[in-house]
Amino acid sequence: MAKSTSSDAQMLVRSLHTAYAATPTNLKIIDLYVVYAIVTAVIQVVYMGIVGSFPFNSFLSGVLSCVGTAVLAVCLRIQVNKENKEFKDLPPERAYADFVLCNLVLHLVVMNFLG
Amino acid sequence: MARLAAIFLAVIFLFPVLCLSFSADNPTDRRLLVLVDDLAVRSSHSVFFKSLQTRGFDLDFKLADDPKLSLQRYGQYLYDGLIVFSPSIQRFGGSLDQNAVLEFVDAGHDLILAADSSASDLIRGIATECGVDFDEDSAAMVIDHTSYAVSEMEGDHTLITSDDLVQSDVILGDRKIEAPILFRGIGHSVNPANSLVLKVLSASPSAYSANPKSKLSSPPSLTGSAISLVSIVQARNNARILISGSLDLFSNRFLRSGVQKAGSSTKYEKSGNEQFVTEISKWVFHERGHLKAVNVRHHKVGETTEPAMYRINDDLDYSVEIYEWSGTSWKPYVADDVQVQFYMMSPYVLKTLSHDQKGLYSTSFKVPDVYGVFQFKVEYQRLGYTSLSLSKQIPVRPFRHNEYERFITTAYPYYGASFSTMAAFFIFSIVYLYHK
Repeated sequence: MAKSTSSDAQMLVRSLHTAYAATPTNLKIIDLYVVYAIVTAVIQVVYMGIVGSFPFNSFLSGVLSCVGTAVLAVCLRIQVNKENKEFKDLPPERAYADFVLCNLVLHLVVMNFLG
Repeated sequence: MARLAAIFLAVIFLFPVLCLSFSADNPTDRRLLVLVDDLAVRSSHSVFFKSLQTRGFDLDFKLADDPKLSLQRYGQYLYDGLIVFSPSIQRFGGSLDQNAVLEFVDAGHDLILAADSSASDLIRGIATECGVDFDEDSAAMVIDHTSYAVSEMEGDHTLITSDDLVQSDVILGDRKIEAPILFRGIGHSVNPANSLVLKVLSASPSAYSANPKSKLSSPPSLTGSAISLVSIVQARNNARILISGSLDLFSNRFLRSGVQKAGSSTKYEKSGNEQFVTEISKWVFHERGHLKAVNVRHHKVGETTEPAMYRINDDLDYSVEIYEWSGTSWKPYVADDVQVQFYMMSPYVLKTLSHDQKGLYSTSFKVPDVYGVFQFKVEYQRLGYTSLSLSKQIPVRPFRHNEYERFITTAYPYYGASFSTMAAFFIFSIVYLYHK
């Protein structure tokens, strides 16, 4: 039984891997960007846990910039994904332009709150 | 016309006398009311009264049951101090009674009370209100079979000597009293938990308080060094009270006589009574040990004006001037143990003030890292000196938002994360747009 469970898990991971390899390149670039942003956010939270929350506004603005840009990238991925029927009529350039503008506003807010 | 001129001259001559009365700038008493049982006391204690008069006091002798006695008229006190040398008086005359005497002391005036073996309930009651309890047995006197004074007659050992004095230069003067002090009268006890009362002259360990004429049926309640012969009280409003169990302590006979303690061969030409009563009357009437603190100032280091508010982590200077009354003028007070507290519910800073020899005490310290409303407190209570209790309130504010350092070191990771996210966004957009 245990041998079949571990081989089941291996088969699951392998099938996920092959399915993921089939996604288009631009979506993979977006995924990489999201992973980078979330990892940066987690590093900041761990640092705050060690050192304490003294300039709390700086902590919040650092975490907000990482999480906010990750959320905007996820929105971009949803709108650009060709398999998504809901956004069939939305031109990908429009989605990308929204992404850029929102990121500009986000980083403006972050610079002000950083202190 | 002549009457008018006489009144005019009287007013002119009385004017300087009225200006010499007790005031905060001139704390020595001037006018004393002396109550006696009979006017013979005036001559039998003349050496003591003369020493007071040569120091500038105006003594007003009255019989204790004089129907015209009064301490105040139209709300103003007529005297600055009271000497009660009438131990056997049952009721004072005029408008004086126990409450009037206690109100007189509560108003800040001084009192010398001498009791005797004939002390009445009135005198014992005044003493109890002041914190001193005479022996309940009204016929008891202090008897000492090993420290009595040797005399030609065979006595009942109620004339005793004592040299158990409190160690205090302020109360008893700098010169040590060499000869023992003669005493005949009743003893009292002082509650050790009371911080305002002090035993100045205690009896020797072999003394006890009992009726000399009857046999002892039970052990006496007051024995040994717990018996106080002379006590002082310094009230919280700095009024000073002297309570003595013997009127003869002040009399000419005791002041002038020689003394020899039983069992010792040293015979002193003169007892210590005169030096003792002179020095202690100087203390009671504020000629010694009276302090005043003026001119409390505080400011930031480098400035001279007093700010309305400090900021945390500021450096500040605090200074106060303390003077001692020498009987005729204010002299600078010199001591090494005056401390200032920076207090909010508990002292955050406690520093000893350093002084230049002219009475200016100062120190500087850093405001603690806590904000709130603080007080500069100086609480100074030393044996024999008036208590100083100064307090000045000052608020302390935290940093304004532009008083922090521009870039906080602990926040560098957050700065780095924000900028790296922006750089990553820029690289991502290039890669996303131009990938194949």
